[in-house]
Amino acid sequence: MTQRIASPQRGCDLPDGLLAVRAAEGDEDSFAVLVQRHNRSLLALARGMLGNPQDAEEAVQDAFVSAWRRLPEYRHSAEFSTWMYRITINRCLTMRRRRRPPPVPLDTVAEPATGDARSQPARSAEQDAATEALSRALAELDDGQRICWILRELQGLPYNEIAHVTRTSEQTVRGRLFRARRSLQEAMGPWR
Amino acid sequence: MALDDPHVWPSEPPHADGHRPGRTAAGLLPFVGDEVLPCGRLLSRVWEQVRDAAPAADPHTVSCPHCREAVEGLATVTAATQALRAEDPPGLQTLADRVMNVVRAEIRLGRLLPLADPDRELRIAENAAAKVLRQAADTVPGVRASTCRLVPAGEGTDVRVTMTLAASLDRPLPDRVDQVRRSVLHSAGPYLGLAVTTVDIVVVDVLEPWPPLSPGHPTGGGT
Repeated sequence: MTQRIASPQRGCDLPDGLLAVRAAEGDEDSFAVLVQRHNRSLLALARGMLGNPQDAEEAVQDAFVSAWRRLPEYRHSAEFSTWMYRITINRCLTMRRRRRPPPVPLDTVAEPATGDARSQPARSAEQDAATEALSRALAELDDGQRICWILRELQGLPYNEIAHVTRTSEQTVRGRLFRARRSLQEAMGPWR
Repeated sequence: MALDDPHVWPSEPPHADGHRPGRTAAGLLPFVGDEVLPCGRLLSRVWEQVRDAAPAADPHTVSCPHCREAVEGLATVTAATQALRAEDPPGLQTLADRVMNVVRAEIRLGRLLPLADPDRELRIAENAAAKVLRQAADTVPGVRASTCRLVPAGEGTDVRVTMTLAASLDRPLPDRVDQVRRSVLHSAGPYLGLAVTTVDIVVVDVLEPWPPLSPGHPTGGGT
């Protein structure tokens, strides 16, 4: 009988659209490549939106599972990445609405340095504190501004893609970004 | 609620993006709250250039004291943002594994197709067969299979395959399609035991000829 080929490397030369077509027909190996390809950016997005890693992981996992179930109806009117951004953002917004207390800012509880090979390079305590302050300030922004800021600053998306993901105009994106930067600048004032 | 329903998106009051008539030198509509610096540049544009991190590309920004001041005003946020961007979220592999565990528990089999063995009434799931036939197509250089559907043809064990392909144009398409058909038939018959009567192939997309895969293949992230 045939051997099962399920290496994540298999298919990683394929464009997203082709992998999504295969996954829609039930090819889970193609979906695994899409997960490997996009989980980093979606997790960064969810962490920026929700503030804590556990919720972010839950949101991204739910988003991927939803995407798998809905792939047969995915009509490729948007790029797969855009579609995934939207699903993830909606998942985060739903989780935030369900949650009573405001989001706990990222890294509020300092995690002990693990020292394993994959841990971050050591940062100064001041840098850590500044990053924590930025995360707090980010949590104070309204959703529209926060989403635009994360997609631009953390994901590096161009205006037109952010407008596409958020279903707004580029002008709206520019305005939200500017207001987000201004608010963050004010919040970070003491750190100058 | 559909996951990408527009109505769940945060919105802002209409005035939030109201703008004064007229465009800036860069052809951009200004918006409420933006500032025109004494040098004529918009503060929002100067801040945006910081993100693009190519100040050298704009000699004005390097030499203009007003623009420099604007950039320095955002320096704390910029530095903290860069640190945040450099953070690698932990648990990526665990997350991917958890997702795939759920996905693999929800395998979509598709229809069951008869194998060419009427006595024993063996069946194979369409999606399992399609995966093998796509792999067979993928072995042809410059070709990647897209959709692959299998349907019973008639009352017996005959099966019809319909496949769409993406192919590069560095060789004549008819040759490529013939190669794919042969490869698919070879996998379907001897290996899977399917009695395939027809393999319909449609080329639906053009691929750039690709270099061989390197072990450290970078993964895209929507950028």
